[in-house]
Amino acid sequence: MSDIYDIIKKYPWLPSLKDYYSEIALKDPSEFISEAFSEQFGNELKERILELFYAAFDNLEEISEYKTDSLNIYTYFLLKILLYALDNQMITNRVANLYSKITYNKLIKEKNHSTIYDICQNLGLRIKYYNPPVNYGKIIIKDQHQNLVTNFMVHFIDYLKLTSNLRDEYRKLVHNSLSEGFVFIRNKRLIRLIQEYVRSKLLIKETDDKASLNVFLEKVSKIKEFKEIFDKILTVWTERKEEFEYVFKIDFEDKEDIITLYPPCVKEILRKTQEGQNLIHNERLFIVWFLLALDYPVEKVVDLFSTLPDFDREKTFYQVNFAKKKHYTPYKCLTLKSLNLCMAVSYKDELCLTGYGAEEPSERKKLAHPLAYTQIKQYRMTKWKNYMIKGSEKEDE
Amino acid sequence: MSNVAYLKRLFQAYYKEKGKEIPIVSLFDKREFGFIPWDKQFVMKRHISFSNFDSLAKYIINEGPRHIYSSGTIYLQPDNTDMNNKEYQGCDLIFDIDVDHFYTPCKNDHDIWYCIECGNTGTGMVKKCPKCKKLKLKQLTWICDKCLKIAKKELMKLIYNFLIPDFGIPLNQMKLAFSGHRGYHLKIENAEVRTLSGEERREIAAYVSGNNISLEILGLRKLNNVIYGLLRENIGWSQKIINKIDKILHNYTDDKIRRLLITFGLKADAIRSFLNSKDDFLQSISQNDNNIWNIEGFGLKTWSTFLEGIISMIGTEIDEPVSIDIHRLIRYPGSLHGKTGFKVQELYPDDLDNFNPLNEWNEKLDPIVFESKKKITQKIEIIEAKIPATKIKGETFGPYTQGEKIEVPHHIAVFLLCKGVAKTI
Repeated sequence: MSDIYDIIKKYPWLPSLKDYYSEIALKDPSEFISEAFSEQFGNELKERILELFYAAFDNLEEISEYKTDSLNIYTYFLLKILLYALDNQMITNRVANLYSKITYNKLIKEKNHSTIYDICQNLGLRIKYYNPPVNYGKIIIKDQHQNLVTNFMVHFIDYLKLTSNLRDEYRKLVHNSLSEGFVFIRNKRLIRLIQEYVRSKLLIKETDDKASLNVFLEKVSKIKEFKEIFDKILTVWTERKEEFEYVFKIDFEDKEDIITLYPPCVKEILRKTQEGQNLIHNERLFIVWFLLALDYPVEKVVDLFSTLPDFDREKTFYQVNFAKKKHYTPYKCLTLKSLNLCMAVSYKDELCLTGYGAEEPSERKKLAHPLAYTQIKQYRMTKWKNYMIKGSEKEDE
Repeated sequence: MSNVAYLKRLFQAYYKEKGKEIPIVSLFDKREFGFIPWDKQFVMKRHISFSNFDSLAKYIINEGPRHIYSSGTIYLQPDNTDMNNKEYQGCDLIFDIDVDHFYTPCKNDHDIWYCIECGNTGTGMVKKCPKCKKLKLKQLTWICDKCLKIAKKELMKLIYNFLIPDFGIPLNQMKLAFSGHRGYHLKIENAEVRTLSGEERREIAAYVSGNNISLEILGLRKLNNVIYGLLRENIGWSQKIINKIDKILHNYTDDKIRRLLITFGLKADAIRSFLNSKDDFLQSISQNDNNIWNIEGFGLKTWSTFLEGIISMIGTEIDEPVSIDIHRLIRYPGSLHGKTGFKVQELYPDDLDNFNPLNEWNEKLDPIVFESKKKITQKIEIIEAKIPATKIKGETFGPYTQGEKIEVPHHIAVFLLCKGVAKTI
């Protein structure tokens, strides 16, 4: 088994940090910042932090030679403090995304599986560790046979909690091997779930308590080095934020704000893109197919993705263009429900929940497709407008 | 005396006599209670809590409610009327198996529907009138040994095919009950399970029901005109599916397989082809190194139809929204069901095998609580156009038609009155 101090140095987001490095972890933030910058490594700490933020703004997925010495613990703390101080969801999402990817790359390189086991234990996951690995199935395609083997099984409750933000089909419990309360999970997949945990640890929500934030900012701004880093990040962000803060707005011919005509499943994805949140694969496919089906220009669809943490304009343009040529149909309501992308209940959307047509609830037709939602809404709006025009004409008479 | 007044008094008397036998649910004072009274029909009084069982007993003796529910949810303030202020602490995982929600062949014998629009009538499970296609239907659903047996089988499938082997849930954490009408409830009381969110519960519900399985992810695919199927070696749903196919091919006669494949929606040619190749197919699924499935005329679509049929046989017929909902109220064990007058009977897993709610020999488990030992009978008049035969305690009563004045044993009278198809005379 690995030395827990070393593991925590490498992975400072582990819960045991507070027990093993309490002299750092339990300090008041401003005291921590002052002390950290008064140390010899102050400058290096500053460089590492800035490198992280700049790499996040550049959409990098990795930082070459990312160091995991004891300074890594300071970097992690300072990072969290800065994310709170910056109070900007888009910055937070980008940094959390990058940091979790760096963690994934480190974990995947761990030669000793027992380290992964120790990390899971530290996270409080109920995990079974097999060495040698166990076989739980096989994939046969043509002449290629691949045994499904793993060193790990994770308890189904922990599995469900770790995968709750991932909505791809493969992570669904029903598609996994489950036995006596534990899910067989391939090593790589387990590491992917740990990555998601790390991302969520850094996803600090913008605070509602702005007064406390201002008090905090006033206090820490007195520390020269902190102010310097904070200002630098903000300057770079201000220069570049237009790249990220593209406001998604599309007009109909009559300059109508089309967003009011969208079903809640679409609105939810648009909300996420505006916040710079990561989208899962199915969300990306659906929004592209939906907008293209409404004859949306490819460039505008590409722009929509520009706020995403892993945006690559060239790649996105190619993919959206490809989808346009293929004329894919967006998912129907039933599929959206099975993919957990249906937002009818969360948004309490009347049209989705109660259907349309007759006034009598039992005779109303169920909505089956998100495109039908837009059509119905558009029809209703046109009808309403005509009614209003007629009304005003009558008044004129 | 009106039906309502009569039944209310009867329920009050029952709770007065048997109230002490009603079980006390765990974390009693942290549950929300809900009651549906007799007089104000279908308006539930909820956001009620009791600090101890005696206060509940007193309440139900005074009110004699038609239905009694308690939450699967634990709250710090269960009586707070604002859901956001109840201080949610977790929720038991609930499974509801109710034949109202799935097809049973016996419904063709005892479930009657009337179309309010065109006056058409018939039996069975329909969603809209087959004649005028309108949805305005009045339905009279009934109970029988057969559908309750199917519901019990579904419950046993849930426990012994999923909850124990796959989820590792021990029997002592499962609370079972006959619902008092057309099904069963299963509640998992486990501190960790209580922490699951609605979305996480949805995953469990999907697993035990087999809904929305991607056959492609399980391994079904077509490459260069060759179909690659599922492997028994793959623990989980693949293994369940192959084991089920194996069992069918070993135990079913050709005729039984034919009938099964018809219910799956397979066409005559495909069924013939399947029967011709079934031995080869059995051999191929028995091998661990071969997953090429080759039956003439079977493309990806036909295989999917076939496998979806198999999945529906394996999966459990649960009412998914109940399992997903973290604020759901369910019938309180030991209470009376206002639509039947039967007791919501708590059961231990060992009781299940022999349990027969409509003719239970074990007095302690008997949900028919209004059976009179003195063989008292009661006169009532049928007010519903047509009601099917009712077999309770081994004796069949009916069918009856509107206007018939009958003299039946007390428990049958209570049942028909609760069902709202008869009136006291």
